[in-house]
Amino acid sequence: MKKSLLPIVIVAALLGMTANNIALAKDIEILNVSYDPTRELYTEFNAAFAKYWKTKTGDTVTIKQSHGGSGKQARAVIDGLPADVVTLALAYDIDAIHEKAKLIPKDWQKHLANNSSPYTSTIVLLVRKGNPKKIKDWNDLTKPGLSVITPNPKTSGGARWNYLAAWAYGLKHNNNDQDKAKLFVKKIFDNVPILDSGARGSTTTFVERGIGDVLISWENEAFLALKELGPDKFEIIVPTLSILAEPPVTIIDKTVDKHKTRNVAQAYLDYLYSEEGQEIAAKNYYRPTLASVAAKYEKQFPKINLIIIDDVFGGWQKAQKTHFSDGGTFDQIYQK
Amino acid sequence: MQLQYSTLTAALLTAGTLASPILANANDASELEELRSLVQALDQKVKVLSRKEEISTETLTTDKKISPLVKADSNGFSLISADGRNEIKFRGLVQADHRHFSDGANDVRNRSRGRAGLLDGDGFNHADDSSLLRRVRPTIEGRVAGIYGFRFTPEFGGGSASVVDAYVDVNLNPTFNVRAGKFKSFVGLERLQGGGDIKFIERSYVTNAILPNRDLGIALYGDVLDKKLNYAVAIVNGVADGGNISTGTEYNGEREYTARLFTTPFKNTDSALAGLGFGIGGTYTNFTGEQNLNFTDTTAADATRNGLPSYVTDGQQTFFRYGANTIADGNRTRISPQASYYYGAFGMIAEYARVNQDVSLIGNSAGTTTNNALPFLSGTKRTLSHDAWELAGTYLLTGEDASFKGVKPKNDFDIDKGSWGAWEIVARYSEINLDSDTFKNRLGNLAGENLSTNTSNSAFADASKSAKSAKTWTAGINWYLNANAKVALNYSHTAFEGGAISGNGQNGAAGDVGRQVKNRANEDAILARLQLVF
Repeated sequence: MKKSLLPIVIVAALLGMTANNIALAKDIEILNVSYDPTRELYTEFNAAFAKYWKTKTGDTVTIKQSHGGSGKQARAVIDGLPADVVTLALAYDIDAIHEKAKLIPKDWQKHLANNSSPYTSTIVLLVRKGNPKKIKDWNDLTKPGLSVITPNPKTSGGARWNYLAAWAYGLKHNNNDQDKAKLFVKKIFDNVPILDSGARGSTTTFVERGIGDVLISWENEAFLALKELGPDKFEIIVPTLSILAEPPVTIIDKTVDKHKTRNVAQAYLDYLYSEEGQEIAAKNYYRPTLASVAAKYEKQFPKINLIIIDDVFGGWQKAQKTHFSDGGTFDQIYQK
Repeated sequence: MQLQYSTLTAALLTAGTLASPILANANDASELEELRSLVQALDQKVKVLSRKEEISTETLTTDKKISPLVKADSNGFSLISADGRNEIKFRGLVQADHRHFSDGANDVRNRSRGRAGLLDGDGFNHADDSSLLRRVRPTIEGRVAGIYGFRFTPEFGGGSASVVDAYVDVNLNPTFNVRAGKFKSFVGLERLQGGGDIKFIERSYVTNAILPNRDLGIALYGDVLDKKLNYAVAIVNGVADGGNISTGTEYNGEREYTARLFTTPFKNTDSALAGLGFGIGGTYTNFTGEQNLNFTDTTAADATRNGLPSYVTDGQQTFFRYGANTIADGNRTRISPQASYYYGAFGMIAEYARVNQDVSLIGNSAGTTTNNALPFLSGTKRTLSHDAWELAGTYLLTGEDASFKGVKPKNDFDIDKGSWGAWEIVARYSEINLDSDTFKNRLGNLAGENLSTNTSNSAFADASKSAKSAKTWTAGINWYLNANAKVALNYSHTAFEGGAISGNGQNGAAGDVGRQVKNRANEDAILARLQLVF
């Protein structure tokens, strides 16, 4: 009797599971609050993840995006923007979400691999075709009369990476003399006629509005400008030294628990580390962290001497306090 | 600014062009190069200035999205968070009235000749002309976290301060809301019309005399069926007819239950009936009023502590009051079918209300009434049924659409522009009829202290002082200077049945034989109002 019933039980169970999947399939929406230049990356990634999630769970997930200067975006989340995940330009901005709103735990950065940075990038220089101002390295940006475009470090994560990369160069070429490094960076900012609030705004200023001789830019943003507008209009100048930028990601715990989206939000971030996620990052000119994908795209990314923020600046908390807090070095050197 | 930059650029380029022959003649390549560099530098400066303005505009736009919005318009003053989930509004209503009486008595109080001064032919003091602040109501209202609303409205009119509204709303969705605190009872149609929106200076007998005003409790309400059916149910302390609960004190543990359904079945259609709404409201409680009260010279609000109302005319003169030994004692039910209709400039409200009120007389076994003797006299418990109805019409002469709410003139009053705001004519008939048993003693005879044959057998109300019915015609005109300011003028004529007594020596001359109840003098009043609402 038992034997004869077994196939029926199995079939019924399978049918039940299928029916259950169909019955429980739901529409889910999550919000990814990101920084300025990631629009293209996450447009492509979101579509891939939605397809992956549909196949895996049957649920339809819609990912809404919000972009802006990393600091401003963090402020918006602190003020109540209901982000399920944040993918910002630097760890300090996400730390602020813990410190000021307690929406995430203090050790949020330990929850994912590579300090929660699924991809990295760096800072390069973008000049007009033919490099008419003969810019080769950071020191060329201090030349009187040169026009340098970079966003506002007060609001833009990318701008802070720019600033610290320049500072690191100034230190290296001045025997680690902080005052001379400060003077060096001041000379660069003396040449900055305009500060956009985010990296994408600065790209617009330089590329579309035709302002400036050089744009200090995220590497991915510079590549994107070449791709979108053609290599006949711009050139990428790789400086002799730059900084390893590690844009981190995290779920916003209190929000996902409130929205009941923890599973999908966690899977969304995990998928960034997957082979497909890493491929999409690399295609959008972010440096993948997965060795296999990194090897595949090795030739795409120039080899640069990259300093680590912890090594040179003692980490983001210290760098922020020294350079970007009110009265910090940036306020001291930029008086416009 | 953009134009200025363009102009500057054009000027610079033109300057370069005009200069070029000179330079060519000079055949000085370095100067040409210098000039070109200068033009390029200036061009960059112009672009930078232009971009800065662009960024400034973008920043402004972004800031607008996150900055609280400050509003100051004809709807009041408010602060709203950028996401619209939090809001606080400051509103106000001020009504300065004047009442002139060509005929009419002031009240039915048990005043002596000496206190009342000059009496009219029926023994009542003449209704006095007066200027008064009818409503002075600042309001703070708003919402927090999107769904939690609140309203706080004190009243400074009428010579004392009190709280008119103080409640919290939980607006879960349009179909289901919760309100707790002190609020307007969801029963009568005209009552639910805002104090600044009413078309007449005073509401009708249906609203002012029979149905409850404001009460303390909790209500569930919402709009369903595509917002064509409004429902409300509430559990409240319970107030006397027309009553406005004055404190949180409950005199009796019994709750009053209220309910109302109102439908607008043709709403949002092109039908001529689109503005038709009708419904029904009602209340129920089992209530015993407070005993041992002496109502002589007390206010109407105090008098409701016996659980029973007093009724007033359009001119706010009391024409009916229960006797001092009468208390609410048992069931009280009210029912009120109601309808409104708005079509173009025409508006109409029709409303009926009936109250069935159980009452008892307190007295001793000898049959003489006292304030504290129990049990009740045999045969002095009755269920009294009073009813009232009104039919009111309004017409906007200046072509605005009539509505349940206020009127926003097509053209605000402005002498310089020759515009005169909106003008509306209004007319209403309203009457109230009290149960005949109200005035009969336990023997079934008319009773009252001035009816000598019945002095030892008081009725629930004194037929020689309180009228059995009042019938009022009101006509008027409203001048809406703008959405906030209104001038209203009403003429009101009220005729009474009963409420006075024939012969001499009224008020304190008990014992005269052979006198008969007669109709008290008509009330003819002119009521005027200047109103500001925001």
